[in-house]
Amino acid sequence: MTDSQVVERSAAATGNLLEVEDVTKHFPVGSHAMGRRSAEYVRAVDGVSLSLKGGETLGLVGESGCGKSTLARLISALYPLTSGHIRFKGKDIGHLSRRQMRPLRRSVQMVFQDPYGSLNPRRRVGSILSDPFAVHGLVPPSERKHEVQSLMERVGLSPEHFNRFPSEFSGGQRQRIGIARALALRPELIICDEPVSALDVSIQAQIINLLETLQDDFGLTYLFIAHDLSVVRHVSDRIAVMYLGKLVEVGPVEEIYTRSRHPYTASLLSAVPLPQSALRAQPKERVILTGDVPTPIRPPSGCRFHPRCPKAQAICATDEPVLEAKAQDSPNHVTACHFPVEPGELLARASRPGPEAPLGDAVRAPEAGA
Amino acid sequence: MSQTPSMRPVKGRLSEVVENLVDGSSEGRSKRVVEGRAPWRLAWARLRRDRVSMVSLGFIVFLILVAIFAPALTALIGHGPNTEYTNTGLSLSGIPVGPGHSGFILGTDDQGRDVLSRVIYGSRISLEVGVGSTGIALLIGVTIGLVAGFYGGLVDNVLARFMDVLLSFPVLLFALAIVARFGPSLGLVLVVVATFSWPYIGRLVRGQVISLREREFVEASRALGSSDLRIMFVEIVPNLVALAVIYATLLIPINIVLEATLSYLGLGVQPPTASWGNMIAEAQNGDLFTIAWWFLVFPCVALVLTTLAFNLLGDGLRDALDPRQGRTQLAPAKRASKRAPTPAAIEALP
Repeated sequence: MTDSQVVERSAAATGNLLEVEDVTKHFPVGSHAMGRRSAEYVRAVDGVSLSLKGGETLGLVGESGCGKSTLARLISALYPLTSGHIRFKGKDIGHLSRRQMRPLRRSVQMVFQDPYGSLNPRRRVGSILSDPFAVHGLVPPSERKHEVQSLMERVGLSPEHFNRFPSEFSGGQRQRIGIARALALRPELIICDEPVSALDVSIQAQIINLLETLQDDFGLTYLFIAHDLSVVRHVSDRIAVMYLGKLVEVGPVEEIYTRSRHPYTASLLSAVPLPQSALRAQPKERVILTGDVPTPIRPPSGCRFHPRCPKAQAICATDEPVLEAKAQDSPNHVTACHFPVEPGELLARASRPGPEAPLGDAVRAPEAGA
Repeated sequence: MSQTPSMRPVKGRLSEVVENLVDGSSEGRSKRVVEGRAPWRLAWARLRRDRVSMVSLGFIVFLILVAIFAPALTALIGHGPNTEYTNTGLSLSGIPVGPGHSGFILGTDDQGRDVLSRVIYGSRISLEVGVGSTGIALLIGVTIGLVAGFYGGLVDNVLARFMDVLLSFPVLLFALAIVARFGPSLGLVLVVVATFSWPYIGRLVRGQVISLREREFVEASRALGSSDLRIMFVEIVPNLVALAVIYATLLIPINIVLEATLSYLGLGVQPPTASWGNMIAEAQNGDLFTIAWWFLVFPCVALVLTTLAFNLLGDGLRDALDPRQGRTQLAPAKRASKRAPTPAAIEALP
């Protein structure tokens, strides 16, 4: 039996649309002019495994620089993998040549964060949107205009604006163009890399509603990356929390939000600002982390979160915890922690005072303003 | 109600310019296809308001027409560029006649040739070399810069070093050596000037491509499955056109001066063919110009006016075309209004 047959079988058994298995991406540090190789690497993504079922939305959250966007670009094959496997419908797409990858591009598409940067300022929208058809030679040139216009209509843009330049649209409209471009090839999986974080709050809601409608209409699967936790909670079925290139907790959305087990998840959630009225009704414990995120060039030993963790003990610095279901959790809620947070446990009390006061101030600042 | 005027400056400015200058009509209401305001039309609208640029452009167009119709013009004047009018063009003691005398509008030179006719014919050489070599430089520079910037790594290293080497070459010494080997000719001047000017364009293009290839729209195109060639020519090259136009306009006068320098040194266009460079050289060859200043001054004036016009037009084009300059004016207002409502808490996370 060949390797690929094994792979096909396992995919059929699990029914997952996408399987990411122990994926790593290391970027060499600094310039390596004239072929000199640098000895150091940024471990942007360092051993991540996750899976997506068809039709679901997986929210991926984490701080800036934790590797979410790199992971997104690995899955959409914009970066080559350092190691690991990415399987789409059971087919390993992680190590394909560009030519072999092309037909698969139709199935996996991406919506980018920056609606200003992701559209070429020198090209008309109609031309940008006909790219997918031109690249894959799907629609004859004479029918492309019609196809583009129906796409524009589908995402809530006026079809007669196809001759305009991106600069003539607002941020929200541009993001609709970006979504239309991703949608053009009728993909099965769309990776949304912080699709709303560059938009006004009022526009964010419109774009999220559009994404949800499209998901229902076309049976799309989303990998939804964001750092706005309330947005992620709204759109996701499951949540994966990432810290310094690794997943620390994965689980169904309500379980993560109500009973987060990893101290990092707990502190991340406690940083979500609440209106003053809600706070008065139910006073909230705020876990303020000390220190900065360590450099991904030399990540901490053991559990990567241990230097900042309020619950850290000796074992955390030596043994790396594995992602597993903790006591009372459903098997699909996994946490990588030696000392998971118990329901009702107050983390803030365990939090050690840190030398870096300004960080605490920065987190607390919006509270004063609210 | 008070919102309407306060919102205008944010969205307005650029579009106002176009509405006033380009079409002037209200748009969008009808069901007809909405024509986009092309960046080029915006740039043209901006350029048209710049009087200096328009005067320069007018002068350049005039110069081009003069060069094209040089034979007709000299026929109209009645004096060929290389004919020595020893009877009418020189006084009895052999002194050139001054401007306006005996039908020589700009006077004659020490051999009795019509200065105006020679300046007119000289414009042909200057434009041929200036525009021709810049065209070649543009072609090579954009191609090499594009490849170097796009692929990076070893390719970039080799090409960038090569450009540095060319730029650090002593051009005149090199030209001397080449001419000593092949003999002076117009074609050689063209090649020498192009060879030493394309690295300027190449370096600029390379830098621009390095920043462009990291833009998200390039990633988006890649995610669609576009080939490298498609990304280069469909996504990147349209963003280079403005830069190329600006710097080509600024390179033309440099190359015109370089041609004049080469001709001045006797390495370029050979007498009796008129070029501004060798006219100046011939005039300085002796001290007759201390009395008969005109046959030194007029080719100089032609050279200065031409380089000035191209330089001023280039500056004007940069103001009109360079999107960064346009945007830096708009950005502060836009940013402020965008950033304000976003919750700072999440951004404040390290």
